[in-house]
Amino acid sequence: MLDLLYSLTSFLPESLQTIIIILVKIAVLLIPLLLGVAYLTYAERKIIGYMQVRIGPNRVGPRGWLQPIADAVKLMFKEIVIPNFANKFLFLLAPVLSIGTALAAWAVVPFNAELVLADVNAGLLYILAMTSVGVYGVIIAGWASNSKYAMLSALRASAQIVSYEIAMGFALVGVLMASRSLNLGDIVIGQSGGIYHWYLLPLFPLFVVYFISGVAETNRAPFDVAEGESEIVAGFHVEYSGMAFSIFFLAEYANMILISMLASLMFLGGWLSPFEGIEIIQNSSLAFIGTASIGWLLAKAAFLLLLFLWFRATFPRYRYDQIMRLGWKVFIPITIVWIFVIGLMYYWQIGPWFTH
Amino acid sequence: MGGMTRFFKSLFLVELLKGMRLTGRYLFSKKITVQYPEEKTPQSHRFRGKHALRRYANGEERCIACKLCEAVCPALAITIESEQRDDGSRRTTRYDIDLSKCIFCGFCEESCPVDSIVETREYEYHGETREDLLMTKEKLLAMGDKYEEEIAADRAKDAIYR
Amino acid sequence: MLESYLPILIFIFVGISVGIVMLGMGFVLSPHRPDKEKNSTYECGFEPFENSRINFDVRYYLVAILFIIFDLEITFLFPWAVVLDDIGVFGLLAMALFLIILVVGFIYEWKKGALEWE
Repeated sequence: MLDLLYSLTSFLPESLQTIIIILVKIAVLLIPLLLGVAYLTYAERKIIGYMQVRIGPNRVGPRGWLQPIADAVKLMFKEIVIPNFANKFLFLLAPVLSIGTALAAWAVVPFNAELVLADVNAGLLYILAMTSVGVYGVIIAGWASNSKYAMLSALRASAQIVSYEIAMGFALVGVLMASRSLNLGDIVIGQSGGIYHWYLLPLFPLFVVYFISGVAETNRAPFDVAEGESEIVAGFHVEYSGMAFSIFFLAEYANMILISMLASLMFLGGWLSPFEGIEIIQNSSLAFIGTASIGWLLAKAAFLLLLFLWFRATFPRYRYDQIMRLGWKVFIPITIVWIFVIGLMYYWQIGPWFTH
Repeated sequence: MGGMTRFFKSLFLVELLKGMRLTGRYLFSKKITVQYPEEKTPQSHRFRGKHALRRYANGEERCIACKLCEAVCPALAITIESEQRDDGSRRTTRYDIDLSKCIFCGFCEESCPVDSIVETREYEYHGETREDLLMTKEKLLAMGDKYEEEIAADRAKDAIYR
Repeated sequence: MLESYLPILIFIFVGISVGIVMLGMGFVLSPHRPDKEKNSTYECGFEPFENSRINFDVRYYLVAILFIIFDLEITFLFPWAVVLDDIGVFGLLAMALFLIILVVGFIYEWKKGALEWE
């Protein structure tokens, strides 16, 4: 496939050829990602519906399969309203910034040992940087709208995201201490050798902290005070309509998938099989479930995404002071204590994770 | 001790997990959604829908223009005008119900001494202009003629409670 | 070494252009009929009577300041964790000391009430 592309573009100068091939690779990554985002909204409505003893969307297409497409088409043809006193440039910059960073972070996510767009050593750092820049989308959107609701929401959202980013960063430090590499591929390879080798076991509290912080980072229920419908209507995107709104929507869902993907890469062994190294399976006809494949990564990420939706269906919204207390007074102490514990585990070389 | 257990309970998210177990169970429970245009919920024989004016079996309209319904109507949706007919009986010349005002409380039906104004089971209607939602005497009588059998059966069913 | 970062650079451009293209598509495909009421700022039914560039709670600044401290701390921890194998017990203890100092600071700001949001 790739060879064919190389031969097709061979008449071009080498630098242009590499760029075209990179663009094709990006398209191959982005199109399934955007489809995944679209169908995540469908899954969300369906699953939450089921949990509320409803059946969710089922009219557009067979069993509602075309619902996201219909939504997208509808949003495309909706007028983009720019409020009178809004700062036009920033107003339109904010959604672009949101989606740009949410998508660009995917550049370093590996899907298996070879399948990664940019196999860089600072992968994790890059992702942290990109998600941090994503906060600007929210702040700029809230400020540029010149609406009090949007302004309040932007303040809340930025303070919340920033607070949970600390807990998240500490959780990542724990992973780094176990893997001693910032390269996501190496982090996964460091976990090979069966379910017992996954970082989930020694870093379990950090996994919980990381995932819950991820929920808070993406402004999802129960941490969605930034768009609390009952108080500030829709939060920072209250003034956005049509495509501008749907871009924020896409960015939020792309970030959800990213968080799930990273959690499965860093804690749940990524594309590695949980049944790795079990002889009975290895020798039977079921050998394929014992081998590492992209399917495992997607299955793990899908499970974590289910958790996102499950949380939303279960928990009432936190109050803002409770959110800040959870972030600062619970998660940060837990992560700091656990980093000390990891330090000790590293010193005594406990288990298969910390042998150096 | 109580404080300790509470601390560990909240640290290990016990109550949150309990909540998730509950919603998780409902994920697989039977769904109760009614697929409306294809499926409908059962109706009581006391269902209060669009109004109708009834007639006696000989075709004479029941309404005697006593205006009790007009008086009792809390939304002031009913307007009645009456005159003496050539045979000396008192009849309405105008009987309007404004469905955009009506709250479907059923008081008109209750107050009627001759069971003339009734509410049918008809609830799937719409109006594109305000006139469409103004039920004139002709429209009401037509409703009554259309649903007479159903109306009579429903009154008979309810008679034992009266 | 650096050329492995080229896909990232291109991906950032692609990500931003996806946003711009989608916005452009929205502008091209959708109607554009502004009127005074539609374009006014949303404020629950009544006229927005003052500018929304209002002053807000100082605690948001406090959170931002504390965030910088802790985020810097994390940026110190990142490279330290990567070279953990090379720096041995001394490195481990040095970072433990650094963390303890920061924890003291954390306890101080906790006791001072900087983290209260009653």
